[in-house]
Amino acid sequence: MKKSKSGAAVMKAPKKPFLSKVKDSRVLLLMCLPAIIFFVVFNYCPLPGVYMAFTNYNFRDGIFGSPFVGMKNFEFLFRSGELWNLTRNTVLYNLAFILIGNILQITLAIMLNEIGNKWFKKVSQTLMFLPYFISVVLIGAIAFNILNYDTGALNTLIRSCGGNPIKIYSQAGIWPFIIILCNLWQQTGYGSVVYFAAICGIDAGMIEAAEVDGATSWQRIRYIILPSLKPTFIILLLFALGGIMKGNFGLFWNLVGNNSQLYSTTNIIETFVYRAMMSQNNFATSSAVGLYQSVFGFVLVMFSNWLVKRIDPDYALF
Amino acid sequence: MKRKNFTRRMLTMTLCAAMSVGMVLPAMAEENADAFEGIDTSKHEVINMLVLGNKPTNGRLEAMLEKLNEVLTEKVNAELELTYIEWTDWQTQYNVQLLSGDSSMDIITTATDWLFGWENAQKGAFLPLSEDMLQTYAPKTWAQVDEAGDWDICKLDDEIYFIPEDHYTQYVNHGLFYRGDWAAEAGLENGDVKSFEDLDTYFSYILDNKEGVIPFDATKNSGAPCHGYLVSNTDNIEFTNVYVGNYTFWFGESVDDPYTVTSPYMESDALYDAADLMKKWNDEGVWREDVLNYDGDTREAFYAGTSGSDQHHSQTYYSQVKPNMDIKQPGSDVKMYYWGEDNNNVSKPLKTHGAAAISAWSEHPERALMVYDLLRNDEECYRLINYGIEGTDYIVTEDGKLDYPEGYDSSTDALGANFWCGRNDDLELENSFNWEGTDDMIANYDSFAFEYPYEDLIVDKTSIEAEQAAMANVLAEYLPQLYWGKFDDPHAAIDEMREKLIAAGYEDVKASIQADMDAYVASKAE
Repeated sequence: MKKSKSGAAVMKAPKKPFLSKVKDSRVLLLMCLPAIIFFVVFNYCPLPGVYMAFTNYNFRDGIFGSPFVGMKNFEFLFRSGELWNLTRNTVLYNLAFILIGNILQITLAIMLNEIGNKWFKKVSQTLMFLPYFISVVLIGAIAFNILNYDTGALNTLIRSCGGNPIKIYSQAGIWPFIIILCNLWQQTGYGSVVYFAAICGIDAGMIEAAEVDGATSWQRIRYIILPSLKPTFIILLLFALGGIMKGNFGLFWNLVGNNSQLYSTTNIIETFVYRAMMSQNNFATSSAVGLYQSVFGFVLVMFSNWLVKRIDPDYALF
Repeated sequence: MKRKNFTRRMLTMTLCAAMSVGMVLPAMAEENADAFEGIDTSKHEVINMLVLGNKPTNGRLEAMLEKLNEVLTEKVNAELELTYIEWTDWQTQYNVQLLSGDSSMDIITTATDWLFGWENAQKGAFLPLSEDMLQTYAPKTWAQVDEAGDWDICKLDDEIYFIPEDHYTQYVNHGLFYRGDWAAEAGLENGDVKSFEDLDTYFSYILDNKEGVIPFDATKNSGAPCHGYLVSNTDNIEFTNVYVGNYTFWFGESVDDPYTVTSPYMESDALYDAADLMKKWNDEGVWREDVLNYDGDTREAFYAGTSGSDQHHSQTYYSQVKPNMDIKQPGSDVKMYYWGEDNNNVSKPLKTHGAAAISAWSEHPERALMVYDLLRNDEECYRLINYGIEGTDYIVTEDGKLDYPEGYDSSTDALGANFWCGRNDDLELENSFNWEGTDDMIANYDSFAFEYPYEDLIVDKTSIEAEQAAMANVLAEYLPQLYWGKFDDPHAAIDEMREKLIAAGYEDVKASIQADMDAYVASKAE
């Protein structure tokens, strides 16, 4: 016997053989099939290729024929002295994206929910959604045209007001703000839709009951909407944590490019791998960095899931 | 159900493994023909050639290919297709294209200096070409290269891996193009820039007197004068076919002692002076503040008169920039200050600055060689691939020179077939568009330039891969900032960079390259 969150006793289902379970849920499985095939083809089939990270890869011998070199490719990571910096940048950027992003998304969703005017609601939702569809290549170009020193919009404005223009592209310190801002601008509208949907799914009866009891709109938000969003928030957070070692490569690459003045604060694992491959033609080392990224990410997911499970098992992913 | 799933999964996995490994070497067709005519060409083949450059969109290329393919079909029952590696991130694209093991690729444009020829040969991207094969399927090319004795410089482990473009005159040493009229106004004797001090005078004059002109409008991809400074102010000879990352980092000591490996980036004080000068220029605004992120078309800016200089090699100077500037900025008197002008530190060009390789996965390497032989040696094919269709793309003047029809503008009407792996002086038409001083310029270079001493030096990179990668990483961080004067204290930055390079394994790599060099010298002596 096990007790669920609501305290009701749940009977453990009798153990069924695997095959009959498959048979019972064949329709569900069929619907899942495209996703399963996708993951098998793109995520599981290439797995043996991880071996490349331990070889001195050449084209003719292929992945499994190339000479085995053990951990030699990983030495590069340590020798370059960048590993710590890269990991720190990647994790910090992602934490900022996830935390600030989610807070903003929830806030926006609640604000949208409170808006009575249907027309205004639709228009603002569409406008917020729009940046999501703009290519990061364009964002990079737009940013350069706003921020560059000689002809950028920002510096032209500063100059015409009599101020001293700022050399934005040589000040590493500013870039975390610029990148986080760009990311939020792009992702918030899209992300808020999920929360908005969750709010719409809250039992209207609860809210009505609160209104009848004389709750103010602030109290409604604080005591009904926010707690109802908690499961959605935690699931999204867990998913996001799984990707914490990934970056938003397109955004970083298009904003920074090969401007090495900004590396100290903008270099993340993915841009590092890309630059190393581009200048080194070195696939083995790049796979090594990729493997490090995956293993570290895997450990993080397992850890956060374990943590959530300890605090509240119902919210754990698995 | 379970078994079915399992089988399917296994099948998919096997298939994927086979695809990702993709190492199915083409079966060699029987070689029983002894003359070009006797070869069985009954099956029509499509030969795909990898070229570098932006694919032209003016329709001229397609028109030319249609004509060329008629000729090729008639002669060897084959047709030619071109696959372009465009200039955006071309290094990555090129290497990835070779890595992919695409069996539709046949002829590959390569080079031992700028296109990683040796590296890719070592990695197995190219098909080894036997003498038999070359004599049978590319007899004219074989004879021409053999006569010059140049097959040896294309060998790796005693096998020939590419066909050199060794019978084509061009100088590809880099330098800065500047305007003679402004240099004269700046008070330089005869309007000549002869050193980096003169260049400084020239830039200062533009800054003070030419409103709206950037003295050297450069982009993030421009060749850096800082590197030129090292060439002009040390006697070190650069290895143009050995890289650390994307940087030409290794040098030979001097013409008198070419086989001692060194690097001015580590060992010369000239780097300090260079860095100081670059910082001065950056602070003054000789280039854009955001040069490291800028990617505009600065050659057009030079043509339009809003940039005071442009950077590239001699061939670009005499075949494009000089003649175009004479039209677009009459009286500009564009000149070139080439790196090494101060101390005659200029080597003759590599014979493998352009070369053709056959893809290791080509399904019909024999026919590819036959097509290449025609493109390089058959006058009709040669003119089509290099110049286009006579009358619309080019005309031949009465004195047998190449000219362009009325209203032709090379900015929009270029053919762009980019056949850079088999041009041939015997068939090359003298281009009347080229600057008339071209021959004198080449003769001048020929009079003092030394033979490139490391033509077929092949560095074994396998044992130093990790160290080189770490060094490349250091260079990628420091050099762009040194090149464009971005460090507040360049001397401290250089010291820091040198320390990091040593930590990355500079000494080991140097010793390893020196060992390769010693072996190379020994093999030469035999």
